[in-house]
Amino acid sequence: MEQVVAERYTGARVKRSEDQRILTGRGRYVDDVQLPGMLHAAFVRSTIAHGRITGLDVEEARALPGVVAVLTGEELEAMVEPGAVGMAAAMGGARGPAFTLLCTDKVRLVGDPVVLVVAESRYVAEDACELIEVDYEDLPAVASAEAALDPSNHPIFEDLGSNVMPVAPPNIYGDVEGAFARADRVISAHLRQHRHQNVPMEGRAVVASFDPLTGQLTVHAATQGVHMVRSTMAKRLGLEPTDVRVVAEEIGGSFGLKFGTSREEIAVAVASRHLGVPVKWIEDRNENLTVSGQAREESFEVEAAVTNDGVVLGLKVKMLLDSGAYPGMGGMLAGIIQGMIPGPYKMQGLSFESTVAITNKASYVAYRGPWAAETWVRERLFDMIAAELGIDPYELRLRNVVTDGEPPLTMVTGRPLTGVTARQSLEHMAQRVDFAEFRRRQAAAREEGRYLGLGMATYIEAAPGPRAEGGPALGSEQIRARLEADGTVSVFTGQMPHGQGHQTTLAQIAADEFGVPFEDVKVVVGDTDAVPSGMTGGSRSATLAGGASLTVARALKGRVLDLAGHLLEASAADLELVDRTVAVKGVPTSALPLAAIAAAAAEPGRFPAEVDTSLDVAIVYDGGKGGWSGGTHCAQVEVDVATGLVHIDRYVVVEDCGVLINPAIVEGQVRGGVAQGVGAVLLERSAYDDNGQFLAGSFMDYLLPTAMEVPRIEIEHLETVPLDADVNFRGVGEGGMIVTPPTIGNAIADALSPFGVQILEQHLPPNRILELIGTIDPE
Amino acid sequence: MSEPLDIDLVVNGQPRTGRAEARRTLADFLRDDLQLTGTHVGCEHGVCGACTVLLDGEPVRSCLMFAVQAGGAEVTTIEGVTGPEGAMNPLQDALWSSHSFQCGFCTPGFVMQATALLAEQPDADEATIRAALSGNICRCTGYESIIDGVLRAAGHDVASGH
Repeated sequence: MEQVVAERYTGARVKRSEDQRILTGRGRYVDDVQLPGMLHAAFVRSTIAHGRITGLDVEEARALPGVVAVLTGEELEAMVEPGAVGMAAAMGGARGPAFTLLCTDKVRLVGDPVVLVVAESRYVAEDACELIEVDYEDLPAVASAEAALDPSNHPIFEDLGSNVMPVAPPNIYGDVEGAFARADRVISAHLRQHRHQNVPMEGRAVVASFDPLTGQLTVHAATQGVHMVRSTMAKRLGLEPTDVRVVAEEIGGSFGLKFGTSREEIAVAVASRHLGVPVKWIEDRNENLTVSGQAREESFEVEAAVTNDGVVLGLKVKMLLDSGAYPGMGGMLAGIIQGMIPGPYKMQGLSFESTVAITNKASYVAYRGPWAAETWVRERLFDMIAAELGIDPYELRLRNVVTDGEPPLTMVTGRPLTGVTARQSLEHMAQRVDFAEFRRRQAAAREEGRYLGLGMATYIEAAPGPRAEGGPALGSEQIRARLEADGTVSVFTGQMPHGQGHQTTLAQIAADEFGVPFEDVKVVVGDTDAVPSGMTGGSRSATLAGGASLTVARALKGRVLDLAGHLLEASAADLELVDRTVAVKGVPTSALPLAAIAAAAAEPGRFPAEVDTSLDVAIVYDGGKGGWSGGTHCAQVEVDVATGLVHIDRYVVVEDCGVLINPAIVEGQVRGGVAQGVGAVLLERSAYDDNGQFLAGSFMDYLLPTAMEVPRIEIEHLETVPLDADVNFRGVGEGGMIVTPPTIGNAIADALSPFGVQILEQHLPPNRILELIGTIDPE
Repeated sequence: MSEPLDIDLVVNGQPRTGRAEARRTLADFLRDDLQLTGTHVGCEHGVCGACTVLLDGEPVRSCLMFAVQAGGAEVTTIEGVTGPEGAMNPLQDALWSSHSFQCGFCTPGFVMQATALLAEQPDADEATIRAALSGNICRCTGYESIIDGVLRAAGHDVASGH
């Protein structure tokens, strides 16, 4: 007899169900939505960084054939309720000054929207934009965080009176003064992270369709959560949330950008209501680069208290963050950066002080690991400490990294360190990469005038983080599952996948738990009329949505077995679900097809009145015990000192995201994050000049990594330390992007060590390398 | 604005006619006029490659061409290399097996570029594939999975786990 091996989908490289749409051109993105009578929007945008609007002439544009509406900032503002937008709205309130959807009195960055034009085609809408004249009185631009600190600079928001957001007093954790008193020496550095950005291949996009007969607004959105869009749209348009339906199909990437809904998207919905017809706006690439949002511009004054044998006792950190104009996300990050900066290391004390500057640049948005500055600063600093003390960087990390289960059991900033495997990731890296052999090659290469470097960095990420003993739940992820009439299962999740493959991974988990083939589970996303509230972000879906899918499948199965027990006159405990049927164990002739159970449940009076016959089950999952994600990355590079080009010879990842749901999807997340980190260090920069003029508005100026720059990436999965009885999947979306910049930065610093170069900044394109080694003069 | 011009061309093997202003891009004509929305527009300045289609067998950026320039030509889009009912061709199937893509927005451009490559070099090696695809930008994957998919389609062994 042939042995039947029990197979599980969870843990297997199941091919993605999404790909059947994506690979054949049948996926429907917002720009693919075409509605009858649909009009097209375009925006007139500010050409200057900072100024007052002194005149606006839209008459010629209004007269252009094909133009249906021209809405100024004043006109639009009269049609909306006040409130926040974007991340601030989604997170429950604005921090910082209030502002209008389109500019009314002032413009605050290049690309600030001033007028909305709606026309029969995008071509005509853009023609009309050309006919609109805006007069400005120039104000001096505040083009850097340092400039924002200068009280003589003109306030970007007059009502604030300054360009600095209220500063919180320094937070002190542990015994920071004691740590510095006990130190053999203090090592200081001024470390910077440069401005770069998400750049999803699909920019922001919306089709808003208001039906004047029903008073209902339907929004086709590119978003990380349809309910976030609904709540903001309803609030700003003064509608009941139940009168707003938000739908989303394929989303062409986001990486944090499409969190909530933006000023332009709300303006388009207002225009649709005003006109009573559908209006589409597709952000073009120049708009996307200039004004959709940018991230990661912080500088840090850091002091480390260290002993001569390489123990880092404590840190004093002062952060200055450039939040751009219209502060939102930028004001929310200090807490998480300071909370995470000790990483997986034993520190006795930390002080952290932060200042958030408002500047005439694009607004600071979430970008894959928004708090990643903490890893950049710490891991670069650790290599600088190692260099100063003459200790190998690997050895320095080993002397400081925590061992799971041994004190300290919490970070100095408070989070439990339960299940941290940073030490194992370092040790596995040392097994995988022969450091001694590299040092020999490096020495030999230097003899030939070639500069090789090796760098590593270690991080942990609360994805979702371990649940503290007696502490609050890690989340409340809603999910529903329904047994359909044909015996298949539909799972309704608030997750809004935009590349992560949740329709595959959540189906893998539910199929295993319920006991049906993968193909029988359909994961429904992206419709406020169908799915529960939720969102995708923060590397939380593996644990939260994975656990929710498992739990709801279990609950639905319990319900099915209960009903089958009545039909088969057997105890549910004696039943098994196999081959799409429920049967009494060992009695295959008793098998009832799932479809028959669904049919019976739908039949009135078939079961006793006290039996719950609903096969539509909703649960809320709290995140279980959670756990850390994290790992160590190691890069080997060669720097061509003639051209400044950096070639990545080898890139190795040892990561731990707990139990893998689908290794191919995990590896895709890791590689994609590494690629963005490669881009951040070697290519990408959202550059401005001193007048706040944006210099990187095309892909000829904002350079993204291609298949020529991103190396093959070796990945080892640790999959250690189960904390929870059922759910040990942990998030992996952000880690690659968090730890790659310091990994490559450290490798370049190592390569250039013969030049006596200190690497204090993250952006190291060829011209900067040549400046650092003295081949060319700094700009 | 100018008077629309007549356009006759063959798209995915079917003769098609249309009218478009001289300035209308081939991408917009395919997507909006012919409802072939599988071709995506990622940058509108010819860098990202998402809008790549085949024009008489050669890959072109449909955002950089005017529709009228395609008059008399044979255009192939992602819809044209896909079988009936959305059945995948061997290249698409290899990309599927390799978990090549994530969000999918760049995907049609990569499929068309790789289609053109494999038509010329059915057994292309990794260096050739990387160079041939270096004008297509993917923001999600880091490219390795895409390279592996095309290698697989070119008949090379790809280590399991990719």
